[in-house]
Amino acid sequence: MMKKLLSTLLALCLLLTSLGMVTASADDVVAYDGSEVTITFYHTMGSNLTTVLDAYIAEFNLLYPNIHIQYSSLGGYDDVRDQIKTEITVGGQPNIAYCYPDHVAMYNLARAVQPLDAYINSTAVVTRADGSTEIMGLTAEQQADFIEGYYNEGRQYGDGLMYTLPMSKSTEVLYYNKTFFEANNIAVPTTWDELEAVCAQIKAIDPTCIPLGYDSEANWFITMCEQLQSPYTVAEDPWFLFDNETNREFVRRFNSWYQQGYLTTQSLYGAYTSGLFVASSGTRSYMSIGSSAGATHQRPEKGADGAYPFEVGIATIPQANPSNPKVISQGPSLCIFKKANPQEVAASWLFVKYLTTTIEFQAEFSMASGYVPVLKSVAENEVYAEFLNGADGGNFIAALSAKVCLEQQDAYYTSPAFNGSSEARQQAGNIITICLPATDIESALDDAFSDAMDECEFAVW
Amino acid sequence: MTTIAEKKLAPSGSNKLSTSSRIRRTIMGIITYAFLLLMALIVIFPFYWMIISSLKTLEEYKLNVPTFWPRLIQLKNYADAFQAANLGRLFLNTAYVGIVSTILSLIITILTAFAFARLEFKGKNALFGFLLATMMIPGELFTITNYQTVNAFNWMDTYTVLIVPFLVSVFYIYLLRQNFLQIPNELYLAAKVDGTSDFKYLWKVMVPLALPTLISITILKMMGAWNSYVWPRLVTKSEDMRLITNGLRGASMKDATGETHFPMQMAAVTMVSFPLFMVFVFLRKYIMSGVSRSGIKG
Amino acid sequence: MVDSKHQWKAWLYLAPALVLLLVFTVWPIINTVRLAFLEGYSGMKAAGGATFTFGLENFEKVITYKKFTLTLKNTLLLCVLTVPISTFLALLIAVALNSIKPLQKTLQTIFFLPYVTNSIAIGMVFAAMFNVVGSALGTPNENLTSVGIVNNILQIFTGKDHYVSWINSNSPEWANMFVMTVYIVWNALPFKILVLLGGLQAINKQYYDAAKIDSTPRWRVFTRITVPLLSPMLAYVIITGFIGGFKEYTSIVGVFGDKMGPPDAPGRLNTMVGFIYDSLAQNREGLASAAAIILFGIILVVTFINLWVSKKRVHY
Repeated sequence: MMKKLLSTLLALCLLLTSLGMVTASADDVVAYDGSEVTITFYHTMGSNLTTVLDAYIAEFNLLYPNIHIQYSSLGGYDDVRDQIKTEITVGGQPNIAYCYPDHVAMYNLARAVQPLDAYINSTAVVTRADGSTEIMGLTAEQQADFIEGYYNEGRQYGDGLMYTLPMSKSTEVLYYNKTFFEANNIAVPTTWDELEAVCAQIKAIDPTCIPLGYDSEANWFITMCEQLQSPYTVAEDPWFLFDNETNREFVRRFNSWYQQGYLTTQSLYGAYTSGLFVASSGTRSYMSIGSSAGATHQRPEKGADGAYPFEVGIATIPQANPSNPKVISQGPSLCIFKKANPQEVAASWLFVKYLTTTIEFQAEFSMASGYVPVLKSVAENEVYAEFLNGADGGNFIAALSAKVCLEQQDAYYTSPAFNGSSEARQQAGNIITICLPATDIESALDDAFSDAMDECEFAVW
Repeated sequence: MTTIAEKKLAPSGSNKLSTSSRIRRTIMGIITYAFLLLMALIVIFPFYWMIISSLKTLEEYKLNVPTFWPRLIQLKNYADAFQAANLGRLFLNTAYVGIVSTILSLIITILTAFAFARLEFKGKNALFGFLLATMMIPGELFTITNYQTVNAFNWMDTYTVLIVPFLVSVFYIYLLRQNFLQIPNELYLAAKVDGTSDFKYLWKVMVPLALPTLISITILKMMGAWNSYVWPRLVTKSEDMRLITNGLRGASMKDATGETHFPMQMAAVTMVSFPLFMVFVFLRKYIMSGVSRSGIKG
Repeated sequence: MVDSKHQWKAWLYLAPALVLLLVFTVWPIINTVRLAFLEGYSGMKAAGGATFTFGLENFEKVITYKKFTLTLKNTLLLCVLTVPISTFLALLIAVALNSIKPLQKTLQTIFFLPYVTNSIAIGMVFAAMFNVVGSALGTPNENLTSVGIVNNILQIFTGKDHYVSWINSNSPEWANMFVMTVYIVWNALPFKILVLLGGLQAINKQYYDAAKIDSTPRWRVFTRITVPLLSPMLAYVIITGFIGGFKEYTSIVGVFGDKMGPPDAPGRLNTMVGFIYDSLAQNREGLASAAAIILFGIILVVTFINLWVSKKRVHY
């Protein structure tokens, strides 16, 4: 009797404390009160993008003159990660940073990243310099305006919390030599089976060519897992699930394609596969799968007559199941770091919210960067709509690429991020580069998969 | 030393010998030159590559089959690089950090090498062995600890943090010690008898004698300042404190799609290297004359 | 000779260096040792408030790692190949350079040039020289685009259709090692030439004059006068060469990229320091520290052997 009472009491206590914690964390959101704060922001933008950023920081400062944004461009994404990684050990991390999911998982080993749920849901009211007001959180319309696949990337960490907002995104697309395809009456492949047939067809027309160049081996492996609904990784023990028969089967298939000279990848070829695609003589390719943000690199140089030697077409990458298409979501998101001063965090949130939800900024930034905006309504923005209308396979190839990306916005996926997910990605790429050139594919498969699993498991020890 | 040496040495009386030895000498000379020119060609190749890369367009640079001479010389890369990276300010910073740390480093190295080469104290060999041992740990392991240290010292974002942590180099101490050890002990003992102080002896005799080595160290140290990247990036936040390599890797060296514009980067590297190259050409004279001024020649 | 007054003075000379070393080298080393014994230590996890138990698990993990012996083998092999070759070549060049009059200055300047050449450039040049661009190498559907300048030169002797895959897929391990050896030797040459040339010019000309009077053969002058008199500098370049060789890593990344091997055999050329870097990149400072201490032990033994040999051979 006494025992039962005690345990009930104990349970009640636990319940109360946990409730208390929930309310406490909701209360944690302090509305920005107009105080002077300096916000540091690490990114990788080139000077053409910082010009756009500068203009919108000025706009932002009209609303919040006391929030001073100090940004540094640190080279590449890995440079940003390494810098922050060291700074976290002394608590010197910036307020806001460009991030990829793997980076956030790493920062969260130190629990350094601020979960955004409470901010997103906050209804606290902030007064701006011009007298107008806004709520701290995202309105229902703002939330709904994010392209879903991009928005959900912020919640890929296995704990159900939201850690990032998407900044600007890219994906993989299929570039093809439209001139050649039309001249030979070849249909653009939409499935891997069709791709195989098209490769055979092209090889018959031009025996010295390599029909397809695929830039990223790791993306290919992970995308195949996603398209075939075959396990890759999960954000909880046992983490690594990619060693299965479905995955071995598609690698086996790619091996046979490679052996027939149908395709190559960047590291197997020994140079950028886009170089193969834009070549106008010698060995060339007629299809290239690469980042949508790199469209201008997939365009051939103009000839002496000032015209492009061929027109480039862009399409969604081939699918395993066209009724449920999957394409990878890439490109930077923004994360906010925890800080002792709640005003800094609140101000950081306001700036992140400004960058990710301001339609004009998203439109201009996308046009300057070749990445695609993360908001659906940007497509209706006048300037951006005009940009998309001008899309062609020559001078305005970046617009064409953006257009293709926007048309497939339901297909985006992201993989779980955890400590070890970057190792899994690297090993996935290794499996492809090891197995494709192998003449004894079965033993290569066994070795490559078991090696990859060993390395991954060693990485999470 | 062979060819010149023998020329002077050929015994004047024996003409028979001189014919065959002259042929041998000529062959030897040809071999020597051929060997040196071949090695020079191999050694110079990356430098050549750096320069032609800096003159290419990005498209040409990325060709599958690299071209050995730019199709169209793009001097524009140089102008772009200079403008984009704010090289002026970065250059001054780097020069300042490079010069100050080189001077301080030389002083410390000379003092330490002298102590190890000439002075006697307990535990000398053990301490020297320990110093050598410190070279064996990959320096990257130190980065985080040192970062925490300078943070605790409140040195972030100052010139101090760019200069002080790397003033001591065991490599240089070791190099200079080897050089000092070669200077005959008799000179030191003679100076002792004359009542010359250790310090005076060091500056008046040993330093001039070791000049070639000191100049090598100067060049290496300057080059280190010119090439350091990870540490300056970690410990400096404001643009005013950045060094040249930070400028080379940052925002400014990217093209419109965010990809690194390598030709422009190479142009910047070439510009940055030029002063160092001039320093060497200028100092080479001193490397050569280091010996003749030594005073122990005859 | 050794009186207390002198001792005191010697320590005064050493003071600046020792203070700085204590703060920026010795303290990090102590910290490294500490981390090596904290099981599974990670700086990131520590910043998040995690604690770690004291023990030997890091060492156990390093030694039982499947590819540990491979990294050890590569490290040793690269050392044994590159140090003697680069030292010998540098010595030849320095002696040759010292023996000529015309062009001496120009050639000296050229041998110095690699110092002002950016390391990014060197890595890229190398990759371009050995790179074979093409697909499905070694299969019936092989498709070559270009074979790099090294193969072009080889083709002059072996015929048009022959080429060696040096660093690409289907490349044999000896070819990978060959490329790395050439690259590391190339990288090491300028510094060694500079040091040895400096040493040569410090040699008293009287020794040679004496040899001339005796009309000693050239080879004997080289082995009996030049090498012994240069021995302190030779000891220096050999010992530091070994220490550098054991820390080889960036040169491999320069040629092969992060995968540390050809695409179809990633990690084939990984070294001890490569393993340490990987562990650091994965925020496993404990593991990295343990590996560093093991490496340290190995280098220590080799250096003591080197010092012992040089004590017998070096003439000051």
